[in-house]
Amino acid sequence: MQALNHILFNVKRLLTLKLVMKKSLIVLLFGVFSSFTIVAQNTIIKGSVKDAISFQTISNVTITIEGTEQTTLTDILGEFVFSSNVPLGEQVLRISKIGYETKRYPIVVNEGQTVNITDMTLDRGITENQDLFTISLSDDELNDDTSGADNISGLLSSSLDVFQRTAAFEFSSSFFRLRGLDSDNSSVLINGIEMNKLYNGRPQWSNWGGLNDMMRNQVLTSGLTPSEYTFGGVLGTSNIITRASKYRKGSRITYSSSNRSYTNRALASYASGLVEGGWSYAFMMGRRWGNEGYQDATLYDSNSFFASVEKKINDKHSINFTSIYAQNRRGKSSANTQEVYDLKGIKYNEFWGNLDGEKRNSRIKEVEEPIIMLNHYWDISSKTSLNTNIGYQFGKIGNSRLDYPGGRNPSPSYYQDLPSNFLEDGDLEGAYEAEQQFINDGQINWERIIDANLTNNLSGANAAYVLYEDRNDDKQLTLNTIFNTEINENVILNGGINYKKLDSENFAEIIDLLGSTTGVLNIDYFNQNQFDLNNPNQVALEGDKFRYNYNLYVNELSGFAQAQFKYNKIDFYLSGSIKKTDYQREGLYKNENQVFSEGGVELDNSFGKGDKLEFTGVGAKAGLTYKFTGKHLLNINGGYITKAPSIRNTYTNSRESQDYVGKINGVNNPNIDITEEKITSVDASYIFRSSIVKAKLTGFYTTIEDANEISFFFTQGSTTGFIQEVLSGVDKKHFGGELGIEAQVTPTIKLKGAASVGQYTYDNNPDLYVTSTSEDFINTQGGDIINTSGVVSTSNLKNYKIAGGPQTAYSVGFEYRDPDYWWFGATANFFDNTYVDVSPLSRSNEFYTDADGLPYNDYDPVVARGLLKQEKFDNYMVINLVGGKSWKIGDKYIGFFASVGNLLDKQYKTGGYEQGRRADYRALRDDVSLTKRVFGPKYWYGRGTNYFVNVYLRF
Amino acid sequence: MKCETFMNSIITNKNVMNKTIKFLKIIMVLIASVAITSCVQDDDYTVPNSLGEEENEGLQTILTGLDNNTLIPISIGELKDIYTTYENAQTGFDYDKFLQITSNIVVKGYVSSSDETGNFYKEFYIQDSPENPTAAIGVILNQADSYNQFNKGREVYIRLMDMYIGQTSSDIIAIGGKPNDDEVGQFTGNQIPQQLFRSNVTEAITALELNMTDINSSHIGMFVKINNTEFPTNLQGQPYGDSSEDFDTQRTVQACEGFEYSNFILETSSFANFYNVPLPTQNGGSISGIITQSFGGDDLVMALNSLNDVQFTNERCSLLNIEDFTNIFEEDFEGMTNNSAVSGNGWTNYAEEGGFTWRVTTSSDNQNSGSKIASMGAFNSNDNVNIAWLITPAINFDTLSNELLSFRSSNSFSDNSELELLISTDWDGTEAGVTTANWSSLPGNIVGDNEFYQNWVSSGSIDLSGYSGMGYVAFKYIGGDNSNNEDGTYEIDNFTVLGL
Repeated sequence: MQALNHILFNVKRLLTLKLVMKKSLIVLLFGVFSSFTIVAQNTIIKGSVKDAISFQTISNVTITIEGTEQTTLTDILGEFVFSSNVPLGEQVLRISKIGYETKRYPIVVNEGQTVNITDMTLDRGITENQDLFTISLSDDELNDDTSGADNISGLLSSSLDVFQRTAAFEFSSSFFRLRGLDSDNSSVLINGIEMNKLYNGRPQWSNWGGLNDMMRNQVLTSGLTPSEYTFGGVLGTSNIITRASKYRKGSRITYSSSNRSYTNRALASYASGLVEGGWSYAFMMGRRWGNEGYQDATLYDSNSFFASVEKKINDKHSINFTSIYAQNRRGKSSANTQEVYDLKGIKYNEFWGNLDGEKRNSRIKEVEEPIIMLNHYWDISSKTSLNTNIGYQFGKIGNSRLDYPGGRNPSPSYYQDLPSNFLEDGDLEGAYEAEQQFINDGQINWERIIDANLTNNLSGANAAYVLYEDRNDDKQLTLNTIFNTEINENVILNGGINYKKLDSENFAEIIDLLGSTTGVLNIDYFNQNQFDLNNPNQVALEGDKFRYNYNLYVNELSGFAQAQFKYNKIDFYLSGSIKKTDYQREGLYKNENQVFSEGGVELDNSFGKGDKLEFTGVGAKAGLTYKFTGKHLLNINGGYITKAPSIRNTYTNSRESQDYVGKINGVNNPNIDITEEKITSVDASYIFRSSIVKAKLTGFYTTIEDANEISFFFTQGSTTGFIQEVLSGVDKKHFGGELGIEAQVTPTIKLKGAASVGQYTYDNNPDLYVTSTSEDFINTQGGDIINTSGVVSTSNLKNYKIAGGPQTAYSVGFEYRDPDYWWFGATANFFDNTYVDVSPLSRSNEFYTDADGLPYNDYDPVVARGLLKQEKFDNYMVINLVGGKSWKIGDKYIGFFASVGNLLDKQYKTGGYEQGRRADYRALRDDVSLTKRVFGPKYWYGRGTNYFVNVYLRF
Repeated sequence: MKCETFMNSIITNKNVMNKTIKFLKIIMVLIASVAITSCVQDDDYTVPNSLGEEENEGLQTILTGLDNNTLIPISIGELKDIYTTYENAQTGFDYDKFLQITSNIVVKGYVSSSDETGNFYKEFYIQDSPENPTAAIGVILNQADSYNQFNKGREVYIRLMDMYIGQTSSDIIAIGGKPNDDEVGQFTGNQIPQQLFRSNVTEAITALELNMTDINSSHIGMFVKINNTEFPTNLQGQPYGDSSEDFDTQRTVQACEGFEYSNFILETSSFANFYNVPLPTQNGGSISGIITQSFGGDDLVMALNSLNDVQFTNERCSLLNIEDFTNIFEEDFEGMTNNSAVSGNGWTNYAEEGGFTWRVTTSSDNQNSGSKIASMGAFNSNDNVNIAWLITPAINFDTLSNELLSFRSSNSFSDNSELELLISTDWDGTEAGVTTANWSSLPGNIVGDNEFYQNWVSSGSIDLSGYSGMGYVAFKYIGGDNSNNEDGTYEIDNFTVLGL
């Protein structure tokens, strides 16, 4: 019998036929091969899994009875068993492991009998290419803050769900956001330690970029479904496991070429598997580099190192140590107005210029935040485990930019230099000259910048230009422990407690004086105020801090508990969490902009420790899966989460002041209270699974209440100045539906389709206020210095669409998988309902009131309605191709993979925002009426035709 | 991370792993070789040694052109003359206040202004010499912060062919790149590198020292220093800029001139970074800046390059107070006999030619009615030429200081006669010696022929502090009873010499 099994299961043809064969035949086959035991009256499914080529047993293969939550892993002998609550009748077993092609086996389960399927085999190779595709994405734009969008495709890419995979692979280049939500609604963990940044709640993907081979072991949950590791957000969780023992033994070398973000990538990894003495090792190095990605002068320079060592002390205890060092330096690219794109094309980037024959980008983002972790795994019993982790992350994030305290704005697309500015004055000749100048040059003039500094050296004047870096140096310690126990065959309990402590140093530092020997004065060149009154008129040279300097301290203590219940017809869960968070700012500079006085009494709003802000977030969620049959399932989830606003959405001007939402120029406003964000979310899914078709239809409804949004820009109108715009108490409503469907129409051809149709809108008219220390807002009468900014009004945002990718996205495509280990696929993706990010200030009273607070005497509501209509971008279709092949040579594997994105070179806008510079009625009306707008919205375009090619060798 | 660091870390890691895995070496070598050849741009900026070569090429072309006479040098003064000649030829008001240059001329100058503080905007001035300039002119250009290119003292050449010279909105003569309505407009961003060239020379500009009262429109564009100035005390606590002014703020600077102040205007842009700095009213001293005109050209003003040019390190000056003075000599003619020749009190009354001399009369003018005065007129003298001197007694300039002379004068039948006010320190006191002594003229306001005969005008305080030893002040009447009607009468009264 065993031998026969071997023969049968090693016939590759048979395996690829697995889904087309008449179901009855398969059932018959398995019926024949299954052993009928009567040792006990238990219904049992058991079996084993081997590698199709080496015929070695494979451990840690995930075996799932489709349509149930029942999942188990194969043991060291490649064996598995389901012994409780086994569903009866026709079932499908799914066996999957990363690096192997997933297979599905139809079986028939009879009550009281054992289904024994030994030596099922798994093929390597083809699916491995799929996560390569993933890699190309997750290295990409995922958290490029210059694009103004964030992306959760890294979270979804290894999902098995067709909708989520489509969202990751096909939609991400359009900055599609799952359910219209920001990625701070998802949690990314490494070994149970949450990696989302406290600053903005988002995961910093580049902290572990270029280490793909080591980031492959992921446990995903989507939406509100429970995770064993954390309570999570409404978009799900992803836990990356870097235990050395969990990697497949072997080495791998990968080389990739692309024109997306980097041009070259070289990766090498090695995992020892379990070796003598209970040790396991895994190492990896990666380098990604390029002088230019798709956008002009977007250099890429990243080196990544990874080491993980695990010691299995005994059957119950293992300790793992992981260190991750992923350094990443990238040139940023700019958002541009339509005028600029029209003149220079969609690859145009204003941040660079030629120097010494090379493209020099002035805006470089450098991330260097190593992570070290120590993890203890304790299997208290076969049913109970305790996982305790310590993680420490430190290092820096730097964003460079040019400062021009004594020079003109170095931006080549500065509005005064563009044709539109001349046209506004009716100067056609000037417009033509400006246009020619911009077309022929249009980049930063480094030589002029350096010459200016050398010229200033002659007279002893301070530097006209310096290159500096906005620095964010974090030290974060995380301690947690996660408990998991199986009370009985129906009930699993999870729980954990977690403590995070963050010390964050934030400052600006001069990184290049650009030829100056005189340095810059540490003063605000707009109004000559001292950035640090404690050290007035300090001259800052290379390596010196200037402009701002403050610390942020965060403590976060959290815990969660959940129970999961699994029965024949119904699975359900209940989960709850609590999180205490406190923030405190400590100013190291006494900023003169923030020194006010009233009645001769000085009020300083910048130096020393500010208010300690405390938040308590709670979470509760529950859900159930009802199994009508193995084919038809219904899944419903609901949750309510309150959480502290991120630091970014708490402090309104942390570089200068102690202010936060509700504390305005040092004074607490009684009408505005900073409070936890409240997120309510429900979704319901219908899941259909036949042996040919898998489909899932989901409806969702999510509301976010009491959120804050803070932004900074220069505005001119009835009042002029650099402002902080604070929106408080923002409510948003996200609802819509998702559909994912795939059909294996022949053994080699699979059709895929996905759709996401949603409506994501602001759901109220939140409070808005503007703070500024610009001259128009400072009243210095009678010896007092009073800041008159911060008047609270209402921004009529209700029913405006939330910007952030297309609200409608469809994809159709197919995959062809040849038995000879080559494959290709194509998709057509259609996007619609992408909206510009509206300026809240323009939707407030500020829009139509003159400086005296009365409406403009020429205010025309009809005209205003036209001006304030939200721009909707054109819909568009993008076609993507993928293909690959792999070979086995001896015991080595060679694989090749290529993809072409946007085959038809479609030009499309992925996002944009209204410039707040001309925010009031008259200024906006006059700007809009121009033939070319001077302060039109700034946009991002998607990439034109692009490619990614990858080869690897595994041995 | 720089490439070297990356290589080092590869080596370090290699050591760590050597024990465990042999074949990783291969991978290392592979990656390392990739890394070596794949270094991307470093984040250290090297400063090029020879900057602006293109610009220097342009300068070389100019210098060569000047050498071989394909380009013609022109001084700033000559350049301004081109425009003033044009303007003088225009009639009415409705003409273009600019002129396009049609010859291959090149002007050279030294930048006198600086927009580093924001007090100038899209303009700078050049003068024809770093010290003792004789002419200066404005340059207007579409470039803010030009100081970091055309820094103060920089030698600048401007190719003028096809460019424009004309008046700005401040009625200043300036060079620009195009017309702007009926005025001259800025050099555009494209024109600047084509027309404006720097040499490597930056000279120290020595301020031209002037008295306030001597400053005139010929100084526009020059870097000028005024000594002994101060701000009026009523500006105490006020900043350079007045927040109620949208554009420019005018502040008075003053200098003590005897009993009164002379004034000048300091103008500060609301974009100047010292706009909010309080005026230093505690002290006085020197102030240096560019002479220019206010918007519209109404006032001649000074604009600062930098607050460093306000050197108020001295005490404030004080005006002279009449009560502190003592009389050295005083004459009101009241003690003399009416309708007789002036005599007594040491006066010398001498006719160099003709018969009439100075006489005492009683005035009937309503500004001096009933007062005895000294009067001289040639009417009815029957002398064709009548030159009459009235000379004070010797005045000792060594006993007191700050000697000030003042008197009042009036006219009658103001015909074409003249009256001179003279001083001599070598006259021997004799009538015979009058014409042989050296007489120099003194400033001082003497009644003009057009003044109404009933009015008496003050001479002002005439500073005699520069004289020492003994001196004589004289009124010299030059007239005659002739067909030219040079017989008008001059009247003198309240003659005083004070000292401190």
